[in-house]
Amino acid sequence: MKLTRKELLVGGAAGAALGAAGIYELVDKLADSSPSKAAAAHAPEQHLVDGLRVEKKEGVEVVVPLRHHEVVTAKVIAPKDQLRDARAALAAELKKLDTKYPATPDGLAFTVAWGLPYFQTYVPEAADLHLPFDRRAKKPALFDAVRFPSDPEETLLEDNDVAFLFRSDNEENIRAAATEIADRMKGVLAVTSIRKGFAGQMDGGKGLPKEMATAAGVPGADLIPDGSELFLGFTSTQRNALGPPKIVNFETLGLVDLGSRSYFHGGTHMHLSHIFEDLEAWYLNQDFRDRVNTTFRPHMPVRPGTQTVAQPPSRVASESEVRRDYDRYGVIGHSSSLQPASRLQQNIRGDDGTLYPKGTAIPQRADFNTLDNPFFWSADPKRDRMGEGPAAGLHFVVFNPTSDDFHRNRLAMDGHMPDGEKLEFVPRSAGQGFNSILKTTHRQNFLVPPRRHRAFPLAEL
Amino acid sequence: MAGLALVASGCSGSESKPAAAASAKPAGCPQAWKAGWQRLANRIHSKVYCPTWMPSPIDAKIGGQWDNGVSVEKDKSYLVSFLWHEPPSQDVHVNFRGYPGRTKIPRCEDTEVVGGKARTTHMPCFSDPHGKRHLGPITATMYTVNRGVDQWHILYAWRDHGSLYAVSEHVIKPLTYAKVVSNLDRMVRGLVPVKPTK
Repeated sequence: MKLTRKELLVGGAAGAALGAAGIYELVDKLADSSPSKAAAAHAPEQHLVDGLRVEKKEGVEVVVPLRHHEVVTAKVIAPKDQLRDARAALAAELKKLDTKYPATPDGLAFTVAWGLPYFQTYVPEAADLHLPFDRRAKKPALFDAVRFPSDPEETLLEDNDVAFLFRSDNEENIRAAATEIADRMKGVLAVTSIRKGFAGQMDGGKGLPKEMATAAGVPGADLIPDGSELFLGFTSTQRNALGPPKIVNFETLGLVDLGSRSYFHGGTHMHLSHIFEDLEAWYLNQDFRDRVNTTFRPHMPVRPGTQTVAQPPSRVASESEVRRDYDRYGVIGHSSSLQPASRLQQNIRGDDGTLYPKGTAIPQRADFNTLDNPFFWSADPKRDRMGEGPAAGLHFVVFNPTSDDFHRNRLAMDGHMPDGEKLEFVPRSAGQGFNSILKTTHRQNFLVPPRRHRAFPLAEL
Repeated sequence: MAGLALVASGCSGSESKPAAAASAKPAGCPQAWKAGWQRLANRIHSKVYCPTWMPSPIDAKIGGQWDNGVSVEKDKSYLVSFLWHEPPSQDVHVNFRGYPGRTKIPRCEDTEVVGGKARTTHMPCFSDPHGKRHLGPITATMYTVNRGVDQWHILYAWRDHGSLYAVSEHVIKPLTYAKVVSNLDRMVRGLVPVKPTK
């Protein structure tokens, strides 16, 4: 099915865009199964989704990702003296949504995350006192995103005050909730961008990424392997590659000083970026072996055609192994280069008493495929370099305990190891994981308060 | 004006009038192209395949307007290339290859500088097979990852009487992957053998 240009484009104001599905309306038409059912619950943490299914794919345990995703970013436009009223209004609206939807795949999981500009502009004194501090990095737990060595110069470092992340198997739930919040927050928040996308649930057939990319006429779409979860043809939600539920909480691993009131106990950090993926370059210039080498690890034994590669704690790459791969092959794998930074290097007993064994993944990724170019809607199309027509990409959403923890991971992906050693690469060269086919357009770090403080945090103090 | 006409022709996806009719069974190497292909067959003392249809706007006249070079190696393997290029980045680029007396996929060399050191690796010139295509008398394997001058091309390769042959076309604007596959199907279906006469 090929869409006309008119069907692909959505214009007009944010309100209209929030209520529109655009090309993503196809997701439910193309997906095989109906939304999954799971029990209702609301954890104190905002970033957790309850009732996620775990299935075996190619013999590997995989967390089934939610089908629909949306991120709405905004700036606060209410005067400072109206912040308490705004807080009450948003808190009431969010509570209403909590009542209406369980935080489950068939309900709605939503996360409200706040950017540094909000804390610095609206609640600077309280932020000085209560924002968590990263003991390991000796820096605040939330700081501005940077351009990483493999990022192009034009990567835009954003300054949104707030981001709303919506996840559900039911697109209508997202649309209704996003519209309700926007309506209620008129005059308080001004939407800056809307970002939409989907994840393949590996439920047979050609798979959602391939069908959506083909319908959109994206170059390289025909070469996406049937049934893959992501455009790049590999599964990324192996249970062992995702952090367990509370590991990214500020308090869990002891990385963070929460201050005397522990205001942000139960909170975490979120990084949001948009990345274009050059599918044609990926599938026409790198054969399956090359793709395994750069996605996982050079010369890792993987049967041709495999999409789901096991990533168990027992097979986590060490820094010396990454260095050895670099010396021997001139290549670092994406997963293996990340692991010295993204996996626990020793057993750790968490703040809640849970034992997290060595090799456990820390980041909780919530990334999703997108055909946005680069966003579904932008309040400033020139600044955001909005392109025409759909483009294959990824809205990368990840929860880490701190900005520094995310940055350590991202730097490792570029060959900058946690011990400070730099494996030299020309930016985006073929040896540097799959950076060669990625182009990051936007980045920002956010703080995710616990559920109880998700509306205008610190404004009540 | 001629350039503009070509651009329009390329973008529209229309096809140039084939040198030979695009009917089911190709009659023979088109008259206007035959001399060049015959010279090649004679030069390598082995059979070559001459196309009877080419994607617009190019033709397959060796020494003609769209000729992008003919090279013959010491082992008699050959590469015949045809190219239409419209700046900044539109191409119609087709390569014909033959490896007389051998059927093994050739190895390509790749050199990259990593950490100040030049690293050379050797790999198959054609990889990522994507199934067989039955096109008239030829059963070809489609390869989607190809190296050297076939990089970013889709390539069809087949074996015939102890020799390996290949045809590839670049996936680049104004062509899509699907259009390139359709072009290759049509080109390979229309191939006719040209045997050496001396």
